[in-house]
Amino acid sequence: MSETSFSVNDLLRRRLQTALVITSLALSVASTVYLLLFSERIGFSISLVAEGKLTAGFSIVFSPFILMLTILILIAGAVIGSFMVSMMMTQRIRDIGLMKAAGCPNDLVFGYFFTEVLIVVFVSCAVGVAIGSVADLGSTTFLASIGLPVSQVPFDLWTVVIVFFTFFVLGLVMGAKPILDASKVEPFKAVSPSFSIGLRKESSSKIVSKSAFTSRIAVRSLVRHRSATIKIVVCLSVVFTLVTVGVAGGLIADQTTKGWVEKAVGRDAVLVAHHDVCDQYKLLLGEFFAGGSESSFNFTDERYFISDTLLNELGSLFGNNSIDARLALKTTVREIQGISFGGDTNQTQTIGDNRKEECLVVGVEPGRTLSDWSLKGRFLANDGVWETVVGDTLGGEMFSEPLVQRMRVFETNFDVVGICIDPINNGRVAYVPLKILENIMHSTKPNLILIKIDAQGNRTESVDQIRAVVNAQNSEFSVVDLQVVLNESLGFLGYIWSSVMLLPFLTLAAAALCLVGYVILTMEEQRQEFGILRAVGARPNVVIDVVSRQSLIVLLSSYGLGVSFGTIITLLILVQNPVVTVYTVLQIAGWLAVAFAVTFVCSLYPAIRFARKPLMEIMRP
Amino acid sequence: MTSIEKVVEASALGKIYETTDSKLEVLSDVDLEIREGEFLVVGGASGSGKTTLLNIIGGIDKPTSGRITVFGEDLAGKKENFLADFRCSKIGFVFQSYNLVSTLTVSENVAFPMEWLRKPEDLIVARTDQLLKNLGLHERREHFPFQLSGGEQQRVAFARALANDPPLLLVDEPTGNLDRKTSLKIVQILETLKGEGKTIIVATHDERILGLADQKVWLEDGKLMKYDE
Repeated sequence: MSETSFSVNDLLRRRLQTALVITSLALSVASTVYLLLFSERIGFSISLVAEGKLTAGFSIVFSPFILMLTILILIAGAVIGSFMVSMMMTQRIRDIGLMKAAGCPNDLVFGYFFTEVLIVVFVSCAVGVAIGSVADLGSTTFLASIGLPVSQVPFDLWTVVIVFFTFFVLGLVMGAKPILDASKVEPFKAVSPSFSIGLRKESSSKIVSKSAFTSRIAVRSLVRHRSATIKIVVCLSVVFTLVTVGVAGGLIADQTTKGWVEKAVGRDAVLVAHHDVCDQYKLLLGEFFAGGSESSFNFTDERYFISDTLLNELGSLFGNNSIDARLALKTTVREIQGISFGGDTNQTQTIGDNRKEECLVVGVEPGRTLSDWSLKGRFLANDGVWETVVGDTLGGEMFSEPLVQRMRVFETNFDVVGICIDPINNGRVAYVPLKILENIMHSTKPNLILIKIDAQGNRTESVDQIRAVVNAQNSEFSVVDLQVVLNESLGFLGYIWSSVMLLPFLTLAAAALCLVGYVILTMEEQRQEFGILRAVGARPNVVIDVVSRQSLIVLLSSYGLGVSFGTIITLLILVQNPVVTVYTVLQIAGWLAVAFAVTFVCSLYPAIRFARKPLMEIMRP
Repeated sequence: MTSIEKVVEASALGKIYETTDSKLEVLSDVDLEIREGEFLVVGGASGSGKTTLLNIIGGIDKPTSGRITVFGEDLAGKKENFLADFRCSKIGFVFQSYNLVSTLTVSENVAFPMEWLRKPEDLIVARTDQLLKNLGLHERREHFPFQLSGGEQQRVAFARALANDPPLLLVDEPTGNLDRKTSLKIVQILETLKGEGKTIIVATHDERILGLADQKVWLEDGKLMKYDE
C-alpha cells in the first residue's frame, strides 16, 4: 500500500477525529488571518500607533489591544494547533508500536503517519486561510454597506501566505514529534499505554476523598493522563485569557472610548451656526470615522459671525451657563521648542523642533464649555492667559513633550497646558481662550454656539424652540442636534470593538473542539473501564457523569487561570483609567459564563455519544 | 415448577455477528434451562461462543433471534437502564480477563457495585472487608489492580461479583490464565459458592470445575449439546 493511500484511508476511517483536528486547526488559522487582515483594513497596522482613522488617544488604547490580541491569538493558535496535531498522533503511538512489532520498517511507519500529518495540516491551513479571508471580505462589505469607509487597503496576500506557512510548519513539527518519539522506543513500550499519552500506572498522589466513585475515577484518570491534562489546561488557559481580554477588555475599552467621545462632543448638545459652518463642524466631528472636511474652508467669513442679539436671546432662553460660544478656524500652527533642566547637573536641554501642522483652532470661554474632555495636564485657567490645550493627535504628531513646550498661532505663543482626547478633526485641534483668539483675529464675535438642552425634557420641542429663535434672527443659520453625530461616532466605536470581540470567539470555538479532542482521547483510554462499570451494573449515564466531572475540573482550572490573567492584562496594561460600570461587569460576567457553558456542553458531546453505544461495542477491544 | 425456579430459560437462541461483507453465526438454535442452585458448566473450543452465551444471559449482549428469560425477565427487549440495574442486583459476572477498574483500589473495585445500589456506607465497608477476608485479599485492599498477580486479580473479580450477593453467578474461563496452584484456589471458591446454593454458570475446560457441575453442556459450531453427546 502506498503511503498516500494508507494515510487517506486511515484518515477517512477515523472521520470524527480527523474532522476535529482539521476544524480546530482551521479555526485557529482563520482567526489569525482575519485578525491581521481586519486590523490592517481599519487603518491600524499593528506596530504603528498613530496612523489611521482614530485619533492618537484612541490608537493608544486600540493598537496595544490589537497587538495583545494578536499575540494571544498567535499563541493560542500555536498551542491549539500543536495540541490537536500532537494528540492525533499520540493516539496512533500504539498503532505505530504494533506496526513496528509486526516488522514494518521505521522509515515506512514514519512515512505513513507523517503523510497523514501533512494532509491534515495542509487541508486545515488551506481551509483556515479561506475562512479568514472570507470573514474579512464579509466584514469589509458590511462596513461599506453601512457607509463606513474602512476598506481602502487592498487584500494583503502576503499576510495570508505568511500565516499559512507559519501554521503549516508548526503543525508538521508538532505532528512529527510523537511519531519520532514512538519510533525511538522498543515496540513493546510503544504498545503499552504507559508510553502512549503519558499514562502513569502508579498514582503518586493518593486520592483520599470519600466522595462518590465517579469523582475518584474522574480525578485519577486526569492524574494518570498528567501530560495531556497539563497540555489541555495550558491550551484552554491561553484561550480563556484571550477571551477575557477580548470580551472584558473590549467592553471596558468600548465604554471608556465612548465616554471620551461623549465628553468631548458634549452630551445633549445642539449646535447653532451658519449652515456652511454647521456642515463643516459635522464633517470635522465625523473626521475620525468618515473624513472629508475642506481644508480651505474660511471660518472667518463675515457672514458666519453670530450677532450679540442672537447670543443674548439664546442666553435668556436657556441660561448663560448652557451656552458655549466658540470661535473656530483652521490655520497652520507651529511648535516652539521647550527647555528642560537636568536634575543634578542643572544643565538645560532643548526639547522639540520647529514643526508645523494645519489644525483646527477653537476659542472657548474657560469655565463655560459644555465639553468635559479626558485630559492629560489641565484645562485653560481663565480668559486672560496665553494657554492652549491641544488634541491628542496634534500633541503626538507635532510635539516631543507637549506639556513643556509652547505653540505659536498667528505669531502669538501659547503655553501647552493640557492634551485632550477629542475626535474633532481627528484630534488635530487646539483650544485657546476665546477672548485672546478674538483679539488676535480682530473680531469680537464667535462663529458657533453649543447649547446644552434638558435631557429629561422633550428634545424635539427644545430643538424646535431654538430653531424658531435662530430663524427669526437669521435664516441662513441652522440648528443641528449633535446627538445624531455623536451616535454615529459611538456606533463606529461600537462596531470596531464588537468586531474585535468576535475574534476570541473564533478561537474559543477552536478551543472547544480541542477539549472535545482531549475528551475523546481520555474516553478512548477509559473505554474498557466504562465498559466494565456498565457490565457490573452502572447505568450509561455514569459515563457522562465521569466525563462531565473531568471536563469541569479541566475547565475550571483553565478558566481560573485564564480569566485572572486576562483581567490583569486588561486593567493593568491595556486600558488606563477604565470606565467600569455595574452593567459592564454584568455584561462581562455574562459573556464569560456563556463561553464557559458552551465549552463545557461541547465537551459532553463525545460522552453522550459514547453512552448511547451498545455495551458490547464498548467492551470489545 | 414455577417460572422463578427456572433461573435461566433460553429457547431457539441465535447470535449472528454481521460485517459489511460477511456473517458469522456464533450461536444457533440454543435451548437451555437452568434451575435455582444448579451448577452448569459450558464447555467448547476457543471461539465456540461460550463467552457470547454468558454475555447474553448476563444482559451484556442481545440475541439476534430466539428468547432469553432470566429470573422471569425477557432480557432481549429491555432498555439499557433496566439491564444495568438487573445486572447489578441479580447477576455477578467474573470476566475471563478479570476486568478490574484500574483507577480504583481493590476495596473500591469490590465496593462500587454496592454503591450503584445505594447501600449504606457501613454495610458496604463491612461487606467489602468480609469478602476480602474470605478470599485472602485483606492485606491487598489498598493496592491497585496492576500491583496484583493474575490469581489475586481473579479473586478480586470474584469478590466484586459477589458484592451484592447475586443469586446468579456467571464465570468465564476462571482458570484459563492461571497456574495450577492458583487455579486450585479458584476451584475451592466455586465449590464454596456451590455449597451456599448459588446458581452458577461457568464457561471452562477445567476438569476440576467439570467435577463440580450438576449439568454439563458443550458448544460446537454454535450448537449446544449435552456433554455426553
